[in-house]
Amino acid sequence: MKRRRLLAGPYLFWSVSFIIIPLFLIVCYGLTKADGGFTLENAAHITTPENLKALGLSLLLAFLCTLICLVLAYPLAMILSQSSISQSSFIVLIFILPMWMNFLLRTLAWQTLLEKNGVINTFLSFLHLPQINIINTPYAIVLGMVYDFLPFMVLPIYNVLIKLDKDMINAARDLGANSAQTFVKIILPQSIPGVISGITMVFVPAMTTFVISDLLGGGKVLLIGNVIEQTFKQGSNWHLGSGLSLVLMIFVIASMGIVNKYDKGQSGGSF
Amino acid sequence: MSNKLIDLVHISKTYGTNTVLDNLDLYIRENEFLTLLGPSGCGKTTTLRIIGGFETPDSGQVIFDGKDITALPPNKRQLNTVFQRYALFSHMNIAENIAFGLKIKNKTKKYIDDKIRYALKLVNLDGYENRMPDSLSGGQQQRIAIARAIVNEPKVLLLDEPLGALDLKLRQDMQYELIRLKNELGITFVYVTHDQEEALTMSDTIVVMNQGYIQQIGTPETIYNEPENAFVADFIGDSNILSGIMLKDRLVNILGTPFQCVDEGFGTNTPVDVVIRPEDVNLVKPEDGMIRGIVTHLIFKGVHYEMEVMANNYEWLVHSTDMFPVGTEVGIRVVPFDIQIMNKPISEDEEAVNIEA
Amino acid sequence: MKNAAKKVYLILILILLYAPIATLMILSFNKSRTRAKWGGFTLEWYRSLLENEQIMNAFYTTLLIALLSALAATLIGTLACIGMQAMSKRARNILMATANIPMVNPEIVTAVSLMLIFIALRVGLGFQTILLSHITFNIPYVILSVMPKMRQTSRSTYEAALDLGASPVYAFFRIVFPDILPGVISGFLLSFTMSLDDFVITHFTKGPGIDTLSTKIYTEVRKGIKPEIYALSTLLFVSVLLLLILVNYSPEETETAAKQAQKKPGRWKIFVLRRFVPAVMALVLISGGIYYGSRGKIGGQNTLVVYNWGEYMDPAVLELFEKETGIRVVYEEFETNEIMYPKVQTGAIAYDLVCPSDYMIQRMIENDLLAEINFDHIPNLKNIGSTYLEKSREFDPDNKYSVPYCWGTVGILYNKTMVDEPVDSWGILWDETYADSILMQDSVRDAFAVALCYLGYSLNSTDLDELTAAKNLLIRQKPLVQAYVVDQVRDKMIGNEAALGVIYSGEAIYTQRENPDLEYVIPKEGSNIWIDSWVIPKNARHKESAEAFINFLCRPDIALMNFDYITYSTPNTAARELIEDDEIRNSPIAFPDDEALRNCTTFHYLGDEMDGVYNELWNQVKSK
Repeated sequence: MKRRRLLAGPYLFWSVSFIIIPLFLIVCYGLTKADGGFTLENAAHITTPENLKALGLSLLLAFLCTLICLVLAYPLAMILSQSSISQSSFIVLIFILPMWMNFLLRTLAWQTLLEKNGVINTFLSFLHLPQINIINTPYAIVLGMVYDFLPFMVLPIYNVLIKLDKDMINAARDLGANSAQTFVKIILPQSIPGVISGITMVFVPAMTTFVISDLLGGGKVLLIGNVIEQTFKQGSNWHLGSGLSLVLMIFVIASMGIVNKYDKGQSGGSF
Repeated sequence: MSNKLIDLVHISKTYGTNTVLDNLDLYIRENEFLTLLGPSGCGKTTTLRIIGGFETPDSGQVIFDGKDITALPPNKRQLNTVFQRYALFSHMNIAENIAFGLKIKNKTKKYIDDKIRYALKLVNLDGYENRMPDSLSGGQQQRIAIARAIVNEPKVLLLDEPLGALDLKLRQDMQYELIRLKNELGITFVYVTHDQEEALTMSDTIVVMNQGYIQQIGTPETIYNEPENAFVADFIGDSNILSGIMLKDRLVNILGTPFQCVDEGFGTNTPVDVVIRPEDVNLVKPEDGMIRGIVTHLIFKGVHYEMEVMANNYEWLVHSTDMFPVGTEVGIRVVPFDIQIMNKPISEDEEAVNIEA
Repeated sequence: MKNAAKKVYLILILILLYAPIATLMILSFNKSRTRAKWGGFTLEWYRSLLENEQIMNAFYTTLLIALLSALAATLIGTLACIGMQAMSKRARNILMATANIPMVNPEIVTAVSLMLIFIALRVGLGFQTILLSHITFNIPYVILSVMPKMRQTSRSTYEAALDLGASPVYAFFRIVFPDILPGVISGFLLSFTMSLDDFVITHFTKGPGIDTLSTKIYTEVRKGIKPEIYALSTLLFVSVLLLLILVNYSPEETETAAKQAQKKPGRWKIFVLRRFVPAVMALVLISGGIYYGSRGKIGGQNTLVVYNWGEYMDPAVLELFEKETGIRVVYEEFETNEIMYPKVQTGAIAYDLVCPSDYMIQRMIENDLLAEINFDHIPNLKNIGSTYLEKSREFDPDNKYSVPYCWGTVGILYNKTMVDEPVDSWGILWDETYADSILMQDSVRDAFAVALCYLGYSLNSTDLDELTAAKNLLIRQKPLVQAYVVDQVRDKMIGNEAALGVIYSGEAIYTQRENPDLEYVIPKEGSNIWIDSWVIPKNARHKESAEAFINFLCRPDIALMNFDYITYSTPNTAARELIEDDEIRNSPIAFPDDEALRNCTTFHYLGDEMDGVYNELWNQVKSK
């Protein structure tokens, strides 16, 4: 048995060298000045009006995106879990397959679709319908986020729903609950672990993206991800960038902590 | 007994090409403990699910208390189910589980609290209100499932192999509990099981099913002592099932030897099936027997010895408190009353006799 | 009725998911190079894809990294699961929590942390660092796929095998492994897909001369994606689709295992479809990857590391140079001067040749980053017009460090069908009639230059009041601006997306070719004239090759090839003479007369502190 434990050795080594120590480095850089002295200035930089605004906007858009994903994904997962083609590999396939088209390209394609004279508007004007004009606005960013992250909401919820004990639903019906009551009192609470991991997997990337805002925001919308990216890549200021990353990390962990409070200690992780 | 509470009329149900129930008719009386008994795939669970409203029959009607409830969803039916795997709501504690149906019916808090206490006492689990289902043993979970169902004061309680997942000792304890509950509550129980002993112990009426057809309906005693056909005889307890020829009323030829019996009306020289329970085979001295045989196997079973006796080219199964060592020559006697005569089925379909018709 | 609603909903979601993919596929057949216009059906891009070494290289790097990282992650992750199974619950929980960190931690933070550790360990950023990073973020996917299967395996079957005399290793492979295999496979596939699709982490951990498809695309976004990329993605997507259909839904799949065993031909077919074909495809990919990978290495005397603007050189020129000299060129692209600068400054990557703009050259000279060029090696310098060398003295006072490559002005491109009035002033960019139809440049200096010129100040102003006024002007303009972009002005103007755009003169020629309604002016208040020149960083390893390349680029025929390709004005007067089309040779856009350039000045480097001020003010504009 002891020797079997050693098999986790490479992983242990790997996670210490490439997960733990690098995070520690961020803390180090984030809390020091270029000359090596300790400072809280980098982290405090988040309080400048521009950065606060970027952070606030990131939170807002990520929240919106998560909400929309949840609203879209839950019924979808329900339909899929009840469908006769409940061959889970097929379902998973439908949602994984788009990933084989590069994510930047897929996002970029929305430009072509959403532009003033883009595909959608051409189509709408053909039908004599009003044009939609959301490209280069936060709405387009939310759309791009929803598009990119929807699968990460659908799959965990779907996985929980297909494993749900059918007799539990029957029992609720049997005890007098109509379909709405059954959904609210049984199906929804039972699927919470899936919802939680879905929220995590959508909220975190949405909160921290810089690519989607870059591609669909027309450079007019600055998210916290953009700020950090620019600090590292253009400003080349690693101390400031690490400080901001640190704040972002704490923010994300805190948000997830709040979400997880609603998860009554049930183990999630059902991707 | 009292009047019909549930009446199943010409029920058929098919899954794909597999016919599970074929034109089934059955009624259940008020306050009776009725057991649907049969091997897996015989249609007993489907019958129960149709009564519970979880399945809709392809044709036929479900009449409850004189009203047609065939199309009524489960939540509108005055009956409750105890599921095979308990189906407790794992995100609610015991009290919340039991209160589920009552809350939906908007009962007062006091009423609900009283009911919870009453139900927990009834199933001997007082004080478990705040436990979570996962922390209970299988038997305890099953009792909670029962408590959750009965607090709604259903007219009928449907139980789908509720003891199937429990070990032997617990199962026997629960059998007595169920009988006690039934007597205390005075409601109708419809019970599904494949365990013949369970059925014999608890039921007022047993319905033996096979391949979607009812084979026999009767009290445990009738089912055991007077099986209507070879399937029932074979399924309920151990039996010696032999081919015989009904020579005339009250005389049957078994393995070349004429035996006295009590059955009449089979005509003369009719091929029949003969059932003799192992405990009804009496072993005597060779010269006193109707036929002679040699003991080939002997096992001590506690209450009795189980022996196999080779006589007239048939291996007789015998239960007896007297012991005869292997190799002993013995005589076999059967009293006329213990010989049960049945018609031979003419075809496969005929094996499924419809009693009600 | 309810079922119909469900179906409609499903179909809508599928449209949402697959509409962009369909769009990209259609674009791969578009004759026009710009995505803004449908130019007719063509298969041209599929043909030219195979000849495009840069894209194929990036593609194989992507595949190779995906494959290697998925394999390594699967191995490490599966071993970890086996090991964890034998641990106490507490230890296991701690390890599982560690596995979850990269899943929950923001991707950008993971990327940054990895970049920091590589730099701290002095691992050169490149193929190996991308690979290590991908393995790192793939391991959790493997663990999360394998661990649930591991929990389902029963201890007793394993012990039964030991009891029957099997060695632990044998028992593992015969008993436990088959049970967890589905988890291992799905972990592998998930890792592969995630690695393939990753951008953020690669973006931060990649080095020079190496690109995955993602980073290649990101560089190209500003210029407009090459249609070959669409073609490649379409091919990739379709082949994966076919492969998955093959593996999952071969007709025999529906039969039971027992039946398959009886039907030998069926089994054989399954073997071919489900094992052989995928294996061959995988083999082709790997060997292709190794082949291309072996060509993508930096090092050796006969290479040259070039760092240039995106889409700023005809690929045929590179091929010609390699053929003529035998020197292999490692070519990397940047999007802005500001992105280029720190890369050269840190010295993490030894570039041999870089093509920055005027003010950035000044900054590099001042910070002692550049080597003096030995002009003996560049006889072709005589082809460069003296006016341009003269202009260069503004940032390279002794003409010691730089050789001009392209030049141009910044002006307004407008659509004649949308703008009726004559355009001659920056002021039109503040005209509310054109709200939401104005495209501004997304870079600090260019944006401020517009405002400063309009206000009548110098575009090199360091006066805080002037700058604040410019900032306020830009903030006032923001509601009217459709988007802040760099090179996308081109596609958007061609596609009639906007009426007015601030653009480099070089792009104007190309856009006019595609959309004759467009017109370019240099506003009367004056503007920026810029020169992009070749410089050699101090830490260059192949200085002579670099000089040979500069000399090559100064050859009239080569300069002409580049002019035709990138359409930016060339300082090479000999090349200009070779332009056949009169209209272009004398185009006031490509070669404006002195009168038009009278008010135009180059950018100067204003010092780090002033840069900080500009950035600060620009951030205020952007976040308003």
